[in-house]
Amino acid sequence: MQNRFGFKDLVFLALFLVFIFVVFLEMKQIDRQWQILSELKDQSSTQTQLLASISRSIDTLSTSGIAPTTQSSNSGGVTLKNDPFFTPLKEAEAMPDFARGDYLVDNFQTKLGGILTPYINQDLYSYWVQAKIFDILITQDPNTLEYIPELARSFQASPDGLTFTFQLRHGVRFSDGVPLTADDVVFTYNFVQNPKINAPRTRSYLSKFKSVEKTAEDEVVFRMSEPYFNTLNVMTNLPIIPKHFYSKFGEEEINQNPGLVMGTGPYRMPDPKGWRPGQKVVLVRNQLYWGEPPAFDKLIYNEVEEEAAQETMFRNGELDIYRCTVPQFDRLSKDASVTSRATGYAIDSFLNGFYFIGWNEKRNGKDTIFADKRLRKALSLVTDRAGLCAQIYLNHAKPISGPLWIGSPQADPAIKPLPYDVEGGKKILADLGWIDRDNSGVLKNSQGTPLRFRLSYATGSEFVQRVVLFLKDNFAKAGVIMEPDPQPWSVINQLMEHRDFEAITLGWGGGDVESDLYQEYDSSQIADAGDNFISYSNPEFDKTVRQARQTMDRDARMKLWQQADRILFEDQPYTFLYSRQEVRFIDKRIHNVKRTMAELNVVDLWPNPIPWYVPKGMQKYTQP
Amino acid sequence: MLTYLLRRLLLIVPTLLGVSIVTFAIIASSPGGLGGALLGPNAQLRPEERKAIMAYYNERYGLNRPPPVQYLKWLNRVSPIGFKAIDTGFPGSLKFGLKWCDLGESWQRHRPVADLIGEALPITLLLECSSLPLIYFFALTTGIAAARARGKFVDVGLGTVLIALYSMPEIWIGVLMIGFLTNREYFHWFPTNGLHDITSDAMLFLPSFSPVGFQRGWLLDTAWHLVLPVVCLGYSSVAYLSRLTRGSMLETLNQDFIRTARAKGNSENVVTYRHALRNSLLPLITVTASTLPAILAGAVVIETIFGLPGMGLLFTDSALQTDRELLMALTLIFALILMISFLIADIAYAIADPRVSYVD
Repeated sequence: MQNRFGFKDLVFLALFLVFIFVVFLEMKQIDRQWQILSELKDQSSTQTQLLASISRSIDTLSTSGIAPTTQSSNSGGVTLKNDPFFTPLKEAEAMPDFARGDYLVDNFQTKLGGILTPYINQDLYSYWVQAKIFDILITQDPNTLEYIPELARSFQASPDGLTFTFQLRHGVRFSDGVPLTADDVVFTYNFVQNPKINAPRTRSYLSKFKSVEKTAEDEVVFRMSEPYFNTLNVMTNLPIIPKHFYSKFGEEEINQNPGLVMGTGPYRMPDPKGWRPGQKVVLVRNQLYWGEPPAFDKLIYNEVEEEAAQETMFRNGELDIYRCTVPQFDRLSKDASVTSRATGYAIDSFLNGFYFIGWNEKRNGKDTIFADKRLRKALSLVTDRAGLCAQIYLNHAKPISGPLWIGSPQADPAIKPLPYDVEGGKKILADLGWIDRDNSGVLKNSQGTPLRFRLSYATGSEFVQRVVLFLKDNFAKAGVIMEPDPQPWSVINQLMEHRDFEAITLGWGGGDVESDLYQEYDSSQIADAGDNFISYSNPEFDKTVRQARQTMDRDARMKLWQQADRILFEDQPYTFLYSRQEVRFIDKRIHNVKRTMAELNVVDLWPNPIPWYVPKGMQKYTQP
Repeated sequence: MLTYLLRRLLLIVPTLLGVSIVTFAIIASSPGGLGGALLGPNAQLRPEERKAIMAYYNERYGLNRPPPVQYLKWLNRVSPIGFKAIDTGFPGSLKFGLKWCDLGESWQRHRPVADLIGEALPITLLLECSSLPLIYFFALTTGIAAARARGKFVDVGLGTVLIALYSMPEIWIGVLMIGFLTNREYFHWFPTNGLHDITSDAMLFLPSFSPVGFQRGWLLDTAWHLVLPVVCLGYSSVAYLSRLTRGSMLETLNQDFIRTARAKGNSENVVTYRHALRNSLLPLITVTASTLPAILAGAVVIETIFGLPGMGLLFTDSALQTDRELLMALTLIFALILMISFLIADIAYAIADPRVSYVD
C-alpha cells in the first residue's frame, strides 16, 4: 500500500512542533535566569570591590593615626545637616506608619519612544525614568521652588552672572560603585556639546555656555559667554553621567543604544546597558545609593495605551496612579467603588503650559488685519474663556491673562483675564469700521468685505477639536466668521515656519518656574523661522525683555517681567485662552501624597526623593 | 521549470524597485515635509528646542537635498550591490561591489531599523503561531460538521453563529472582553495587558505545587496572557474559514468518487476524512498561502488593545509619523514576502495539479 501522509502523521507532526516550541521557550527561560544570575554576579563583584576599597581606606586612616570611627558628616559627608533635598523624605520617615518596601506601579500612557539613554532620549516619559536613575547638580524644592543643591554640596553664582561654581558632595557613587568626581561633570558637559551626539535639544539650552572646568577634585566652574537669568534652570536639565561608563562607547553606539543608563540616583536599571524597547521599565533600588533611600523597592512603569484597558487595570488595583482624561475623571469621581480606594487630584501647575490663539500680523511681507491691536483685543473680548473651561474642560482648566502661570511672581498681580464682553468687543469693531451693514449678522467693512479668518489647528486631539468649534460659535455671536482649518502636525509646523496662516491655535508646554518671554515675542525671533511666528513686534517690549534676561538681581528682574506682562496684556499678540489642570487618581495605599507649590510632592520630571510610602499592612508586592 | 523560476526571481528586482520608488515619492511629497514630522506627534512645543532639533535632523538625514538624490542615496544603502565608502577621509573614495544591506536608522526612534523589526517580529510570530493552529482546528471541525449535517439544525445553527461572529468588529469585542473578563468588578479571569505578569521574572518555568499553593509558572502565565488576544484575533478567521471549508466539502461530497467510496462499503468517517477532506483542502491552502504576508504584517487592533508591541503597531506608527526609513524598509520587506509567497503558491499548484505546468 502507498505510504501516505495520514491523520496520525499530522497529529505526530503537530505534537513534534509543539514540543520544539516548548523547548524553545524553555531555552528563553533559562536565558532569563542566566541573565538574573549574571546580574547577581555583577552586583556581588562591585560589592567586593567596594569592600576592598573601603578596607583600604580604613587601613590608610588607621596608619595615619586617625580613628576610623570619627564622624565626618560636618566636613562635607554624604548627609548634610538640614539637607533641604532630603527634608520631605525625612518628614515621611518620621511618620508612625512609615515603612519601606512594596512597588509603585505607574503607567506611561503610550509606548515609550524607545530610548532611555540620557540626552539622546526624546519623549516625556523617558525623562520620568531619567529623573529616578540620574542626579543633577542642583534641583528645585517642590515646596518653595527655590534651587537646592543635590549632587552639589553648595554653589555660588558670581554677581555678573558669568561664573557658577559648584562644590560636589563627598561619598557619592554611581550605581556600579565608582565614586563621582569633578571629571564626570566636565565629561557630561563635553558629551552634550559634542555635535556627533544626537542631543540637539539639550545642546540648544547650552548655547550661552562657554566652558566647564575642574578646579579641584570636588569643584567645577561653569563659565558663560553672556549673563542669562535662567542659567540655574538650564543646570537642572543636566543629569550627571559617569565618564568611566559612557566613554567606553563610540558616538554612534551611544546614539543607537537605547538603554545606556547608569547614574547616581536612588534607582537603577537591573542591567545598565541591556534595556530594549518593548521590555517593561522596571527600576530596582540602587543598593549603593549615596543618600537617604526612598520607600519603594521597585518602580514599575506599564505602557498601556488603550483607555478601557487603563481604567480596568486601575479598577483592579494593577495601577497605583491613573492619569485619565477630564470626562473620565469626572465620571470616576462619582463612582463609589473608585473613590473608596483612590483619591482624585486635579492639579494646577506651571508644568502644564497654556493654550492660545496666535494672530498672524504679517503675511507675504504685508500687514494683515490682525496687525491692529484693537482688533486683537476685540476678538479676545468676544471669546468666552470661562464658558470654554466650564463646558469643554468641566472646570478643569482656568482662563489666563497672559503667558505666565497663575500666581507666578513674573506676572503683574493687578492683571485679570479679559472679561467675556460681546458688546464691548463689537463696539471696538464698529469703531474700526466693521459693522453689520445688511442685517445678515456678519460684520462687514465699508467695501463690503466680511470679517472672516481661518483658524488652523493640529488634528489628533478631540479636545482641541471641540475648543475650535466652541470658538467658532463665540465668534459667530459677534458677527465674525471663523473657518476651522484642521491640519496634521507637520503641516502646522510648516505653516508656522513660513508664516503662512491667518490665525492658529496651539499650546506652549510649561516646565520653567521662571519663563523667558524672549523666544515667542521678541521681534528678533521673527526672522529665520524663529518662534515669533505671528510677527509680533513692539520695541518697548523688546527693550524690557532683553534687559530682564540680563538682570541677575531677582527683584529688579521681576519688575521688568511684570512690565513685559502688562505690555503683552495691552497688545494681545495672542488671545490667551486657558491653562489645563492635570487630573489623576492615586491609590489610597500610597500614603503621604501632598500638594506642593510645584505639583504633588512627587514631580515626575524632577529627581527629588520620593516621600511616598505604603504602610506595612497595605503592602502587596513584597513577599512576607 | 528552472527557466520559469529564474525568470520569476529576476522579475522580483524591478518590481521591488518600482514599489520603492512609488513609496518614496509618496513619502517625499507628504504635506508638511519630513522635517516637521520629525518633531514628533506629541510635540509639546518648547520654543528654543524646536529650531535646533529641526536644523540638526535636516543635516543628519540629508533632508535639505533634492528628493531624487535622497532616493539614490537610500537605494545605494539598502541594495546589496552598490557603492561603499572605503575611506572616511576627504575627499573619500568609493568602491563598487557587494556589501551588506543597511536598512538605516528610524527617524522617530533613532535606532537601527533591523533592531526594531527584530524586536517586534517575535511578538507577532508568537501571537500568530499560537492562534493559527487553533483557527484551523475550529474552522475544520465546524466546517466539516456543518457540511455533513447539511440543512439540519447543526448546519443552520453553526451558520448563524459564525456569520454573527464574522460581523462583529474585533475592536469592539476586544474592549468588551477587557471591560468584563479582566475586571475585578465582573469576572477577573484573565490579565488585562501585556505578555507577562509583573512577578513573572521570579517564576519557575513549569507549573508547580509548593507549600504556599499552586504556582502557575512562566509558561502557563504566558499562555494565560495570550488567551484573550488569541481569541480576539481568531474568531472572525474561524468563521470565514469554516464557511469556506463547508462549501468545498459539500462540493466534494457531491462528486462521483465519493459515491464510489460509499459503494465500496467504507464507513462514513473514512469517506469524510480520508476521501473528501483531502480533496476539499485545496482552496484552504490557497487562502493560507496568501495570508502569509498578512501574518507578518501583524494585527494592529489587537496589538493596541492588549498592549503587545508587534509588527502591526510598528508599521502603522511608522506610517503615521512619516518615519521614512522604517516605513520604506517595512514596505520593501512586505513586498518581497508577498512576491515570494505568490511564487511558492504557483509552484505548489504545479506540484498539486498535473494540469498546471510552466514548461515553455
